[in-house]
Amino acid sequence: MASRQIALKNLSVQYLGFEDWVLKEITVFAPVGAKIGLVGPSKGGRSTLLNLFAGIIPKIIPAKIKGKVTLGDNDYRDLAPELRKTTGVVLQDSASQLSGLADSVYDELAFALVNRGLDPLTIQDRVAAVASQFDLEDYLEQAPTALSGGQMQRLAIASALALNPQFLLLDDPTSQMDPVGRQHFFSWLKQQKDQTVFIASGEVDDLAEVCDQIWVLEAGRLAASGTPQAVFNQLKDDPLVAKPTSLELAKRLKIKRPDGSYPVTASELKEAAGK
Amino acid sequence: MIGQAAIDQSKWYAKVDPISKLLLIAGFTLASFVISQPLLELPLLAATALLIMFSRKTKGLWAMTAFSLFLIMTMLLIQGLFWPGNHTLALKAGILLFYQEGLTHALLLGCRILVIIFSTCFFIETTTISENAKYLEAAGLSYKQVYVLMSVCYILPEMKQNLQKIQLAQRARGIVPAKSVWSRVEMIVPVLVPLIIKTFQMAINRSISLQLRGYDSPERRKPELKQEYWLGHKTHLALSLICLFLIGGKAWLLVK
Amino acid sequence: MEKKNSLQNVWKFKLSAATVTLIPAAVGINYVAKAFAEGLKLPLWLGSLGTFLASMLAGPIAGAISGFINNIIYGLTLSPISTVYALTSIGIGIAVGILHARGWFASAKKVLPAAIIIALVSAIISTPLNVIFWGGQTGIAWGDALFASMIAKHVSIWIASFVDEFVLDLLDKVVVAYLAFLIYKQMPKRMIYFFKGNEN
Repeated sequence: MASRQIALKNLSVQYLGFEDWVLKEITVFAPVGAKIGLVGPSKGGRSTLLNLFAGIIPKIIPAKIKGKVTLGDNDYRDLAPELRKTTGVVLQDSASQLSGLADSVYDELAFALVNRGLDPLTIQDRVAAVASQFDLEDYLEQAPTALSGGQMQRLAIASALALNPQFLLLDDPTSQMDPVGRQHFFSWLKQQKDQTVFIASGEVDDLAEVCDQIWVLEAGRLAASGTPQAVFNQLKDDPLVAKPTSLELAKRLKIKRPDGSYPVTASELKEAAGK
Repeated sequence: MIGQAAIDQSKWYAKVDPISKLLLIAGFTLASFVISQPLLELPLLAATALLIMFSRKTKGLWAMTAFSLFLIMTMLLIQGLFWPGNHTLALKAGILLFYQEGLTHALLLGCRILVIIFSTCFFIETTTISENAKYLEAAGLSYKQVYVLMSVCYILPEMKQNLQKIQLAQRARGIVPAKSVWSRVEMIVPVLVPLIIKTFQMAINRSISLQLRGYDSPERRKPELKQEYWLGHKTHLALSLICLFLIGGKAWLLVK
Repeated sequence: MEKKNSLQNVWKFKLSAATVTLIPAAVGINYVAKAFAEGLKLPLWLGSLGTFLASMLAGPIAGAISGFINNIIYGLTLSPISTVYALTSIGIGIAVGILHARGWFASAKKVLPAAIIIALVSAIISTPLNVIFWGGQTGIAWGDALFASMIAKHVSIWIASFVDEFVLDLLDKVVVAYLAFLIYKQMPKRMIYFFKGNEN
């Protein structure tokens, strides 16, 4: 179990009807249970990769796939239906992710659970648990459409988590949240231990804090992969990739870590500056 | 089921299930068509009106009837004056000659329309969207089918909101109402097109999300109905039989 | 292997996740288009724009269902008499679907004759409904004025009503057809692909 990993080998993806390959020859791997941040300019392929993991491609949105995606020893596509049951997905536009037939926030949170056929008591407990994790308890009776943008994103995330998924796929989940909401989300994410998380986001500071690996996608190619430390230092001069504030500050103030690299998080910066 | 305002579950009209209410609409409508004299329509009209009165839910009634009432007036006018079967003078207003046959016919049609409106109004005012959705699914429709039928009810208010936002923005910019039909149509295009594309994109996202959340899973648990309805299946059967009887009756009358 | 766009494929319909969200969206679009027409006081209905698009995106059955649900739901939420005109909406959905499959919406020139055919279908189905429920009237002022002037001259109810309805339908459907044509051309390819129902 500990040696299980997710591996991409020469993965290329082309949407049906389009000439460009959205992902080109991606080879990279990550251990199950890790948190992986996907960064890079928009239209770089992050959403496509998440769609692939979610099973949206090629079943729902038709696409040509070349190369291999494996989980442990199995081809990812053989596992897909089973995996989907234990995968939580949060797409970019949270409002359009809602079921569209839920009277209340409670019903929305319970939707996937009801579809799974769980009994009402279990549903009640899970909904309460996930609502309290994301500060939605006061809104349980409200209509989902009455929520603000940030609240709706919390609702989308909470709904995805209601099933206790082993895999979590998040596409820009904090875009409409205020700084407080964002901070709350990322500190919650940091505490998650057993889940494999793929998160595409522009919040590089938070990703540097929280993620075990960063994969950088530029124009469909993997520009870099590795620990936040390694990746952001490797790309410190790349204008297309946003860099953590700590690194920018360190560059300007010429503060380096003992091994010669720049710090990427606030705590690393403090440590390096202290020396 | 216009709004989502909760219906008091203890009231008599809440104990009639949605399908029975729909069958009532069908029954009353068919009955009004079997009848061919305005005078005999009055009991039906009274019955449907009483349904609404006793439920004390008359809020939306005026909005629903206003336009139709106006139309009925024009029918009385046009048919009273020009109906092909006219030959018995009923009243004279200046140079206008109103004939009995036309007026009677218009009155008959008018009563039928009001019967339809009243019986439908009873349904609209005493059910909610979620109740209807739950009942349909409990009655045996698949979630997919219920979704297609009922999610529309949630989309309409959403689109109304979007529309109002746009109209507000337009008014703020001071759009001058143009004269010709074509130029007014041209004005709609730059607003309508992005709205439509956005609507379809939302439909795509929603579709993906539904699939990911297992909306068509065979394990889905049917909703529990909290309300105890009167008789249920027996009323459905009885009302359906009445409707069939009425259809048969009308067919027989037509053939005669 | 490319799927041949034969006429038999046109009638294939599945209540899939794509159509399950397309149909309500189409009804929503019908609603917005109608509201626009009313707001700008246009002598048009425009309330079939969504049905047109649903047919063009997913075939005549999808369009027919959109039209059906459109009128049933309107009838049970906003205006009770709409329900009977579900028959007209179904007819429009099927007509648009067939014409689109045969390429009548491919170029601006062909849209006009297509719109005329659709207006005919709509008028033929609506006229009996108008006669049964409204004595031949349509509820639109100048259409009914035309109707009144015709029966005053002893033209048969059916012909007068048909003319009333057809003239209104012609104007309305030509505008809607061109709007639908324009919008379809501007839609991103991936959107059209999604709703086409390419089952992998």
